[in-house]
Amino acid sequence: MQLARRLLATWTGFVFLFFYLPIAVLVLYSFNASRLNIVWTGFTFEWYARLLEDRVLVRTLENSLIVASVTTVLSVALGTAGAWLLYRYRYRGGSLLETLIFLPMIVPEVILGVSLLILFVTIGLQLGYTTIVISHVTFCFPFAMAAVQARLAGLDPALEEAAQDLGATPPQAFAKVLVPYLMPAILSGALMSFTLSLDELIVTYFTASAGTRTLPLEIFGRVKKGLDPSLNAISTVFILFTALAVFAIEALRRRNP
Amino acid sequence: MTRTIWRAAFAAALAALALAPLAASADEELNLFAWSEYVPQSVLDGFTRETGIEVNYETYSSNEEMLAKLVSGAASYDVIQPSEYTVEALVKEGQLLPLDHAKLPNLKNIGKGYWNQPHDPQLAYSVPYMQGTVGIVVNTKRIHEPVLGYRDVFQPKYAGRIVVLDDAREIVSWGLATQGLGPEQVTKENLEKVRPVLAAWLPLVKVYDSDSPKTALLNGDVDLGVVWSGEAALLIQEQPGKFSYTLPKEGAHMFIDNLAIPKGAKNVAAAHRFLDYVLRPDVSVKISKEFPYTNPNVEARKLLPKEALANPASYPPGDPKLATFRDIGRLAADVDKLFTDLKARSGS
Amino acid sequence: MRQEKTHFAVASTGAQHRPGRAAWLLLAPLVLWALAFVVAPAAIMLVYSFAQRGTLGGVVYTFTLENYAGVVDPVYLRILIRSIGYAALTTLLCLGIGYPVAFFIARADPRRRNLWLMAVMVPFWTSFLIRTYAWVTILKSEGLLNSLLLQLRLVAEPLDLLYTPGAVVLGLVYTFLPFVILPIYASVEKLEGSLIEAALDLGAGPLRAFARVILPLTTPGIAAGVLLCFVPALGIYAVNDILGGGRVDMIGNIIENQFKGNARNWPFGAALGTALLVSFALLYAFVSSFSRSSAARLR
Repeated sequence: MQLARRLLATWTGFVFLFFYLPIAVLVLYSFNASRLNIVWTGFTFEWYARLLEDRVLVRTLENSLIVASVTTVLSVALGTAGAWLLYRYRYRGGSLLETLIFLPMIVPEVILGVSLLILFVTIGLQLGYTTIVISHVTFCFPFAMAAVQARLAGLDPALEEAAQDLGATPPQAFAKVLVPYLMPAILSGALMSFTLSLDELIVTYFTASAGTRTLPLEIFGRVKKGLDPSLNAISTVFILFTALAVFAIEALRRRNP
Repeated sequence: MTRTIWRAAFAAALAALALAPLAASADEELNLFAWSEYVPQSVLDGFTRETGIEVNYETYSSNEEMLAKLVSGAASYDVIQPSEYTVEALVKEGQLLPLDHAKLPNLKNIGKGYWNQPHDPQLAYSVPYMQGTVGIVVNTKRIHEPVLGYRDVFQPKYAGRIVVLDDAREIVSWGLATQGLGPEQVTKENLEKVRPVLAAWLPLVKVYDSDSPKTALLNGDVDLGVVWSGEAALLIQEQPGKFSYTLPKEGAHMFIDNLAIPKGAKNVAAAHRFLDYVLRPDVSVKISKEFPYTNPNVEARKLLPKEALANPASYPPGDPKLATFRDIGRLAADVDKLFTDLKARSGS
Repeated sequence: MRQEKTHFAVASTGAQHRPGRAAWLLLAPLVLWALAFVVAPAAIMLVYSFAQRGTLGGVVYTFTLENYAGVVDPVYLRILIRSIGYAALTTLLCLGIGYPVAFFIARADPRRRNLWLMAVMVPFWTSFLIRTYAWVTILKSEGLLNSLLLQLRLVAEPLDLLYTPGAVVLGLVYTFLPFVILPIYASVEKLEGSLIEAALDLGAGPLRAFARVILPLTTPGIAAGVLLCFVPALGIYAVNDILGGGRVDMIGNIIENQFKGNARNWPFGAALGTALLVSFALLYAFVSSFSRSSAARLR
């Protein structure tokens, strides 16, 4: 078994190399002196300095973070509620509802974007934060729901019974027993939602307005001019920041299980 | 731990609610809907500084994208940046507001040649922003023979070394040019005539790229191509002496990007002020410096440095055969289908 | 995407109850959400697919079937088949490459598992566009990979890596691998360690134990991974555009073209989208029932 384990570990190592190679390149090129970011011409911190002056880029990063946060909260709420309710109760049309909920996950983003745009126009909803968040939640919360559903499938019903036998009311049983049990799935759903929302481009294109541009939209816009290294710089800063945050949370979690 | 997360999420939600109104309010605003990376931030900042009007710059990367959002009526824009054939289509559909020339004193700076173009004679609805051409770029370090026309580009010896724009309309117009037809002569019969020509050309292409064709040329993955003049000008600026730009002798596309005011504009006065601001020579020259296309503003040209005027991609010498695109209405779908079909057959 | 219940025959007080009014009330937001943001847009798309195109884009509400005729036009069918090919290949590669990784992480030290998962996700917090362009930098003829190969004298001339179908597949696999790894991980993680060891102890070689016991038990995870990879891969257009040099048009490009490109033919885009949507819904229903029945068979 040790051999198998070692083979798996080596394979995983190669896959991670594959994952991180472009990231390494991205980070490296954030120090590239050439503006056109195509050939390496020299080392510089210029782009990081420029970030501080680039109001637009920083503003769009803020927008992205806000949208992603709100999306995550709503997705987790809807997803957990949905997973729990569909698990507990046999609704008529329950599996239809489930299929409908999962549909946005698998529809081409252009279609999703355009159809939502037309919907918003038809009901007269102004494009902005609200519409972006709605679109993001629509395709993120199925992921959160799926994660919680998977976890629920492994739930030992005796657990809840025991809590109720010990005098807990259903809401208490939910909060004190179920939620902690579901927490890993909730967190994983939250992580997924956050990630998806942050990098979302196409649907956002159709449902954002001039004042609420997100970072991916801004980057997409700058492709024409050539992706100058300040975009690499902001990606690097961002990845560093979130990786640190995530590992900090993980460390905290391990100290208080 | 859980509580910390909830608290953080709650705070984030509150922050979002708190900041949202901030994004909405501003004293006076101008909604600019333009090509991405085509209006320098310095121009927008300068405008805000002088007038106090905040500019919201929303972008698109094709005329059709702009039309999609405009037609849906989802947002109202005060200034848009259509290309010439799109101006024609919009005027036909009554989607543009006529310009009040009295509010545009700097309009006189626009060169005479631009006042009588088929898409908007008399500049009643639009103001030229930048003009350009689509022409042949050659890496002269790798290719030493002259490449003077489309037929010279699409030769089997250059197979796999060519970059072209990913634009059905463009490529079809090049095919038409080699048949002695102008780009406006898009008919079903002419499309059939052009089909075998393009069927022979497309398998030779390595890269289709309308966003940044200079990338492939700089990378050395391709040695020649037919691209926007602005891209070529940047190449020439970046690596002088390496690249040449020639307008195809069979006939080249001249495009004019314009500023116009759509029908649903909320702030028409501010829109006019912006247009006039951009027409000022000192502002227009800033745009030229960032985007070395051909500046239709002759007063602004006087302020350009010699090297900029000498760039053959920005200011092509001689008297080339040029034509603008016209609105072809529904035939656009046929053009697209032809291109899609041939691309699919020639690709992999 | 119901996972099977892997715990054994405990009397089902956890069985599903009939919903009372409170339960329906709690479900209401979800139902409303689904109606408003899934059903309504889909209905609009459906209506558009039978309409005619407006001159500037948009639609004219005149009934026509020409859009669906276009959907089955050989020009587009060829592209659809090619897209299915790429999506299928990508899915198979992702499964082959990702399963061992998911297995490794799921069987790793429980304290480390989350870190491994984070490590999988972290690259995907950078902009997808920048990541894809980073691959351009790596794969181009004067790029990092070729430079390395030339330095090591492994090749005499730079390899033609970029702007090829291979580059597109690489990009697609890169994009979808985490979506395959995560559900498989979830499935493997739920397997009881004792089960795996029992299978291995019973004299079956590791390969047979894997094929006969472990793999079938993780079918739901695999099914989920397949759905999350195959279907979105069909709708992709940016990765193949950038890495394929714009030469590898897939059905996603066609749809995008109708709305954002030269074609200005929204109804046709809507018809393509509706056709895909219906196919996906059917595929999803099929896969769901398959995974449910295979789970039932295993018990």
